[in-house]
Amino acid sequence: MLLKSVEHIFWLGRYLERLDDTARLINATSHLLIDSHQDTQFGWPILLEVLGQDSKAILGTAAAAVDGEQGKLSVADTEKAVMAYLINAADSPVSILYTSSALKYNARTIRPLIPRDMWEELNALDLFLQQNCSMAVSRQQRYQLMSEVSRRCQMVVGVLDGTMLRSEAFDLFNIGRHVERADMTTRIMDVMVLQQLQPTQIKRPKFRWTSILNALGGVESYQHYVAHQAADVDAIDYLLTYADFPRSIAYCLNRVGASARGLPHSVSILQQVYQLQSLLQHQALAELSTEQLHSLIDHIQAGIISLHQAILAPCQAPLAAQTQQKSA
Amino acid sequence: MTAPIHTSSFSGYPFTEGCYDELVAATGQPRLPAAAIARFIDKHGRAELLARQQLLNQTISAMGVCFTLYSEGQNIDRGWPLDVMPRTIPLSEWRKTSAGLTQRLQALNLFIDDLYHEQKVLKDGILPADLVLDSRNFLAPCRGVSPPFGVWAHICGTDLVRDETGRFLVLEDNLRVPSGVSYMLENRTVMKRVFPELFADSTIVPVDDYPHQLWKMLASLSPRPGDVPCIVLLTPGIYNSAYFEHSFLAQQMGIELAENTDLTVEDDGVYLRTLHGRQKVDVIYRRVDDIFLDPTVFRSDSVLGVPGLFKAWAKGQVAIANAPGSGVADDKVIYAYVPKIIEYYLGEKPLIDNVPTFLCSDEKDRGYVLANLDQLVVKPANESGGYGILIGPRSTQVERDEMAAAIIANPRNFIAQPTLALSTAPTLCDGELEPRHLDLRPFILQGQDLYCSTGGLSRVALRKGSLVVNSSQGGGSKDTWIINDEV
Repeated sequence: MLLKSVEHIFWLGRYLERLDDTARLINATSHLLIDSHQDTQFGWPILLEVLGQDSKAILGTAAAAVDGEQGKLSVADTEKAVMAYLINAADSPVSILYTSSALKYNARTIRPLIPRDMWEELNALDLFLQQNCSMAVSRQQRYQLMSEVSRRCQMVVGVLDGTMLRSEAFDLFNIGRHVERADMTTRIMDVMVLQQLQPTQIKRPKFRWTSILNALGGVESYQHYVAHQAADVDAIDYLLTYADFPRSIAYCLNRVGASARGLPHSVSILQQVYQLQSLLQHQALAELSTEQLHSLIDHIQAGIISLHQAILAPCQAPLAAQTQQKSA
Repeated sequence: MTAPIHTSSFSGYPFTEGCYDELVAATGQPRLPAAAIARFIDKHGRAELLARQQLLNQTISAMGVCFTLYSEGQNIDRGWPLDVMPRTIPLSEWRKTSAGLTQRLQALNLFIDDLYHEQKVLKDGILPADLVLDSRNFLAPCRGVSPPFGVWAHICGTDLVRDETGRFLVLEDNLRVPSGVSYMLENRTVMKRVFPELFADSTIVPVDDYPHQLWKMLASLSPRPGDVPCIVLLTPGIYNSAYFEHSFLAQQMGIELAENTDLTVEDDGVYLRTLHGRQKVDVIYRRVDDIFLDPTVFRSDSVLGVPGLFKAWAKGQVAIANAPGSGVADDKVIYAYVPKIIEYYLGEKPLIDNVPTFLCSDEKDRGYVLANLDQLVVKPANESGGYGILIGPRSTQVERDEMAAAIIANPRNFIAQPTLALSTAPTLCDGELEPRHLDLRPFILQGQDLYCSTGGLSRVALRKGSLVVNSSQGGGSKDTWIINDEV
């Protein structure tokens, strides 16, 4: 495989997962917010925060654009502005449409590595998004639309699983998907869990609130988990350490580790994976103070960034890597 | 020769006067190879044909068959235009045509090899030496280089047209980086999805062995025969108008799709940058023009080239298809001499004739051309894609005056041909079947062996009366069905 392709196939996996995760996040959070759920202490802007965006700046711009009432958006207008930013705003680097273009760009660049069936699915996905996501939609349509986005992302993965050669490209695609997923799970925890807990020296309270698990498609399996654990556990244990749940950090790390084994730079990738795994294993999560929990999440986020860099390291310094190979 | 069963499918078909129609005989009856499609229309009606065209368009979007237009900002891909009506040719006729095409490529390769070695053809006065030596496609650094089998132009896309009698003529030879074969292959894939019953019922010869034949030809050029060759397709990148084709062919052949930055040259060997370090490259199927190939030899400002590539090729360390310099025979002035070239090298009469051609470099011809600009098609010698052409009968006086001035200033750069009554084929236009002009680009391969594609890419001018078939200028395409009439 071309060295250059490493980056593109990895990003293909990341963007595909991001598309799926963004659609899930929109739907789960919408349900939560329109329910006026008793646990809810959030407004729509939290979605922007999860995706690492500056909600004040974005909504400030949106407010300025609304006629009349300068500087203040109604709840309905806030919802509209946030959804536009997440789905179709031209200037948004996290929108569904932006992610889809990035997906298409990467797929195009490595077209020869992609089986025809998967290429057609990716194409259909992009066409669907261009046709359906470019205009604002009602809540009810939005729900259908986001479910369809998720479903189509799963179809791409399914087709790929059934047709793609078990090659380094396949491994890198899967690594990309699981790095992105771990990243998204961490973001959701960071914003939606930690913002509820001021950093203190006292032992953290049990986290009984399970609604955010909706965003991760994990409510039912969480009930199963709680029912079968001897120790006293909560949603934080579940999202971080329960390796049977495919959206937990532990699961994603296992998958990255397994997929990295065949790569020539597996050693440096696995090193990052082990470091992250030991972060999770060496702490009894229930015993942490809220401050320690904050710091743990910070460390995991930093670890995921290092992992990402280790995966792309050969592409970052192509000339150096070539010289090294030559002398070897 | 028309179909034995009387059909009404083409009744009222508005023939273009003086043109041969590919599918419909002058009687209004379908020609024999078109019998199956005619029966389909009879049985299911026009409405079904329209429905199939819609299905076809959807299939093309779903498959992502596209071509790229320059200067359209972000939205760079266009859906590939394919007409639902196929173009049919009997196999018996195609056999003769493909023999003529391989004959032509063999002669052209002997010619190119001679030009870069002894230049016997010039010494024997078959064509004027200055025509060749002054051509900007004659690349002096290539002199003395001996590529495998003496073959320079490994892939040739020859444009064929039919005259008013239905006879195939060669319009031009594309020996540099001919494109379009991926659309020939994808057109067939689309049509099989859209007309499964026709493929089940009639005897349409398959086209899908082309990628394997191309791979085999490229492999035969490897400087390390006997070992598995490392073959790469060199593309200018994802913004090139033919990128779809580059990625498609690389995938179909299972070879790497490389840009210049993926290649390095060391000690005259060419290497690919892979995840596992350097890998020696044996054969490069390049889709980059000659002058951009190597900035140390040709254009020094080329950002698409690989420094040192030319020397590696000249030393036989790597094969390049088509070889640098093969464009010397892809020149509309040289074209006029190809029938003589065939006789000179092969001692055979050409199996397919040229379109009659006037050379503006010849004083007598030039006088005729200048006096008859309103009757002729004038072409620059070295342009492709249909650019810079004057179609006399459709030109304005101002355009003709400009062309006359250009010819007088640089006669070597122009040729002229009579305005051809290009053949037509029924094409679905606004719900009706109307005649539209078309040509045919078969693809011919030469390495150790010779091969000609089954049919080729039929390009059709979608605007009424238009003769311009290029997709960049409003042209469409048709699937070309070679129908086995020998069973």
